[in-house]
Amino acid sequence: MPLLRLTTGTFGQLRTFATSPALGKRVKTFAVYRWNPDEPDKKPHTQNYEVDLDDCAPMVLDALLKIKNEMDPTLTFRRSCREGVCGSCAMNIDGVNTLACISHIDTNLSKPSKIYPLPHMYVVKDLVPDLTNFYRQYQSIEPWLQRDKEAAKGKETQLLQDVEDRAKLDGLYECVLCACCSTSCPSYWWNGDKYLGPAVLMQAYRWIIDSRDDATEKRLSKLKDTYSVYRCHTIMNCTRTCPKGLNPGRAIAQIKTLLSGMVKKQPPIMDPAGLEKAAAH
Amino acid sequence: MAFSTFLRAPACKNLVFSQQMRKLTTQTSLQRPVASLLPATTHLFKELTTSTPIINSVRSLRTTPVMAGKPHDHSKLWVIEKGVAVLLVPLVPLGLLLPNKLFDAALAILITAHSFWGLEAIAIDYVRPSVVGPILPKIALGLVYLICIATLGGLFYIISHDVGIGNMIRQIWSIKSDRQKS
Repeated sequence: MPLLRLTTGTFGQLRTFATSPALGKRVKTFAVYRWNPDEPDKKPHTQNYEVDLDDCAPMVLDALLKIKNEMDPTLTFRRSCREGVCGSCAMNIDGVNTLACISHIDTNLSKPSKIYPLPHMYVVKDLVPDLTNFYRQYQSIEPWLQRDKEAAKGKETQLLQDVEDRAKLDGLYECVLCACCSTSCPSYWWNGDKYLGPAVLMQAYRWIIDSRDDATEKRLSKLKDTYSVYRCHTIMNCTRTCPKGLNPGRAIAQIKTLLSGMVKKQPPIMDPAGLEKAAAH
Repeated sequence: MAFSTFLRAPACKNLVFSQQMRKLTTQTSLQRPVASLLPATTHLFKELTTSTPIINSVRSLRTTPVMAGKPHDHSKLWVIEKGVAVLLVPLVPLGLLLPNKLFDAALAILITAHSFWGLEAIAIDYVRPSVVGPILPKIALGLVYLICIATLGGLFYIISHDVGIGNMIRQIWSIKSDRQKS
């Protein structure tokens, strides 16, 4: 057995040599997590696929699609836009939560790329995690504009917002809810049932500071319990992993300062109901 | 059909109830509870018939609305926690530079409070009822209290019966090995 282990290194080197660029082929191994709910007796395992990089587009999603199309049609994963705006193909690639469609294949051929579903989530199949809880939490923050006086149907007028107030939403509204940040957060792993997680909290903040939104107090009072926000220990895994380069950690810190009452939401620069009032006169 | 719905009714009742509770705990429905009652139940029946059994086990996870039912304001405590952490920054060097009983007592209380919140967070995060059962988390939290009370008692013993915290650390610093002494 030790002898066998010794030889694996040599075999590995031999294979790398055989697939080296000198011989014209750049074959990359992908170790992909597999689990099938229809075979409950079989434990989750990783399956290796070899992809010729010269015959494949540069992104990890391209390689997965190639595997699915040409090698193994049973491989299951989510994908849609293939350009990083839908957030469907979030997965754990070489230990980092990211979107497969906007992460380059590691061209180091000597070691396999490991592809796993988002960590600490229920797996539906292969790379597809169950996001039910995540979406339900998003629903719980009521992610829509709320006005004290709802517009009458057919009499809606445009709400006004100053450019400066609008700029406050930059870096928040771009979130595609891929759940990369939430599933990289240990607090969310341990208390995902009660702690809302960075992605949802950043959206909560997005609606809290919107100058047109009137429900700020209500939104904040829903977050002030021990778990919803305060399980965040500011380790910033969320910001580090975000494939869109956003900063959920900062948004959570802002929520905490707003909750403390030491910082108040600024009144809107432009009266959101300005047009409606002008029409009434 | 009517009979089967009747048979299922008691089983549904719990779900209807919990759904209703969840609805009531959110603030929008608090403002108009009566109006929201009827549509909610009809909507729920639609949901019940269409829900798939496979992911039901996951669906039963509770989210924040349940916590909102138990209002516990943590925001004031957060301010105190951060205030203590900020106070410790000047107090630790001050306590070492000018050892006296007042600084020592403040240091003892603040250090204990600071470590209590840290240990409490560790106990809450890692000893969860969903993993270790309902009893161990209480024991863990009890241990945290015990450790912190013992720490505070020990520190005050040093302050009142011995040289005090500042001097104690200075003494530890001035310990020399036998080789250095000779």
